[in-house]
Amino acid sequence: MNNAVPAIYAFFVETLPYITIAVFSVGMLLRIQRWTNAPKDHNNPKISIVDSIKYIIFDVMLFRKTYRRDKATWLLVFSFHASIGGILFGHMRGFHIWSASIFDPLGHWMADFMIHTLPIYMGWLLIGTTFLLLVRRFILEDKQLSSLTNDYIALIIVLLAAFVGQGMRLFPPEATSTEIYSIVFIPRLIVLHLEVVPSYHWFHWHVLLTQLFVMYTPFSKFIHILTGIVTPAIYGSRRKELGV
Amino acid sequence: MVQGGKNLASKIQEKAKESLSKFTRRQLMELDTCSHCALCTEKCPAYKESNNVLHAPGVRTSKVIRLYDKKHGFWTKLFGEKEITQREIEELAESTYHCTLCGRCMESCPFGFQTHELWVRVREIVDSLEGNPENVSKLAGLLDENMNPYGLEPDTRLDWSFFTDLDEAPELEEAKIAYFVGCTTAYKGANHEVAFSICSILEGQGENWTLLGEDEWCCGAPSIMAGKEDDAKKYVEHNVKILESKNVERVITGCAGCYRMFRFEYPGILGRKPDFEVIHAVQYLNELLTSGKLKVEKGSEKIIYHDPCELGRLSGVIQEPREALSYITSDLIEFDENGVDSKCCGGGGLLQAVDNEMRLNIVKEKLDEAVAKGAEILVSACPACKLALVDGVREFNHKIEVMDIHELVAKRLGVLD
Repeated sequence: MNNAVPAIYAFFVETLPYITIAVFSVGMLLRIQRWTNAPKDHNNPKISIVDSIKYIIFDVMLFRKTYRRDKATWLLVFSFHASIGGILFGHMRGFHIWSASIFDPLGHWMADFMIHTLPIYMGWLLIGTTFLLLVRRFILEDKQLSSLTNDYIALIIVLLAAFVGQGMRLFPPEATSTEIYSIVFIPRLIVLHLEVVPSYHWFHWHVLLTQLFVMYTPFSKFIHILTGIVTPAIYGSRRKELGV
Repeated sequence: MVQGGKNLASKIQEKAKESLSKFTRRQLMELDTCSHCALCTEKCPAYKESNNVLHAPGVRTSKVIRLYDKKHGFWTKLFGEKEITQREIEELAESTYHCTLCGRCMESCPFGFQTHELWVRVREIVDSLEGNPENVSKLAGLLDENMNPYGLEPDTRLDWSFFTDLDEAPELEEAKIAYFVGCTTAYKGANHEVAFSICSILEGQGENWTLLGEDEWCCGAPSIMAGKEDDAKKYVEHNVKILESKNVERVITGCAGCYRMFRFEYPGILGRKPDFEVIHAVQYLNELLTSGKLKVEKGSEKIIYHDPCELGRLSGVIQEPREALSYITSDLIEFDENGVDSKCCGGGGLLQAVDNEMRLNIVKEKLDEAVAKGAEILVSACPACKLALVDGVREFNHKIEVMDIHELVAKRLGVLD
């Protein structure tokens, strides 16, 4: 199978994953170094695990504060993040974190829906909400916000990755592999296994864009995926300390 | 200094680099995490009044992180630092001083950034870049000379007691309780009766209490708000030294700003916890009312309570004033947004010194809501809030009485007219 792909595609799936991991790792090290070089905080609250989890769930995952303020904006940002979360969860199956059999207890129809149908809806939801977030950012630019270049690049990467990912699902596969097709990021540790090779071109461009997403994470606003659990944990613990 | 848009002298560039490196780990992580989503914007009282993009909290983080990356970003290692322009400094100053430091943006940020501390750090940077507004720059001199931000003689600090019916202002060598009056209460006429009321309550309880008189210096909060944390140390050390020398067990203050400063900033600046407990006077009042040590006649006036930002959202004293008010009136009403989500009155963050018109417009919104709800008395527990609210009532001729909760109690007790 691999021999049949053009050189550029082979690069995307065979060489680029190692570069991706390297860039991500170096980027994260630089980012962590940037933080650790800064002076320590002297007035951080004692971290309360329960309150940290509570605020991460309510404020970050469910966008409680936004819900209270503006339901339409909440629907947009929550749908965007929920679709990304759902799609990333779906991808975890390819990394053998979970298997399709977890849906078996739901019955054949439901299991089939969860594995094959829901991801397509999630894809559309992600494309739609990413586009609307871009429009929102554009409309509010210089009125309520001042974006950094990476704020736009990040959204455009997500939009393109979601778009080609959706194309991969919608267009029929040009070829079906007889054996499991794998992309190795870290041998035996992070390996993406595909049971069916999806639509050829869409698939390879999707692989490229998702790797750009990973590489760009430490250098862009994507970092909030990781740090977004730290700051609300401190906030929640502070509130606990104040008795609020 | 070189004019707008052009590069600043290298000395300023060096200062900028140094001051930008003062962001703590958490603050830097917050700046890196900010998605510039503008979810905080509409909650910001300053932005709401001006609709000026520079006043939006998220725009401030964008501007700061741009400056930070010019001096400390990843690419500076490869391509060198970039120069910060005069225009950037002016924009940052415009942004950070059109802020009441109310911390309301924290309550709409999904990531819960500790914005109050973040904006104070930004003010430090603006100060180091010599970008402070003129009136704010004058503050350091006034504080230095007079130990208060109003430029009034230190020996007039107790003058408020002459203007009230306080028979004797005790200045004891040792006492269990010290009443830390605070500059805005001591020097601003609108608050003199607040001090008198608190003193009367202490006296009525037969407490062993004292004032610090001339020895009371500014708590240091204005220095911090003006981006001069190093200057604040002098005031912190002095006040703690005086209070500890009197073997005080408890410090009571009626000022929300002083309270927050004592409770949260003093230990960090001092490097240790002072040897005394600090409470806000409203907590003391609530203790007395709930324990039955103080009994007041319950009235039926429609009272609305305004949470001072530094007391409620930033210090967590939210229930005590309400509990205390429940002994005072049977008709306590609330603003639509209250407690941790309370709207600022405009009285904080040195906004009065920078843009009094904006301050008054913020106050107006608060007063409009109180009047629309039919409140007869607007009660707070902070001299800066009272000052702003009183100024607003005068400016816009609102028909509502503004009082500090302690004045209300003193009236009920018949010690205040």
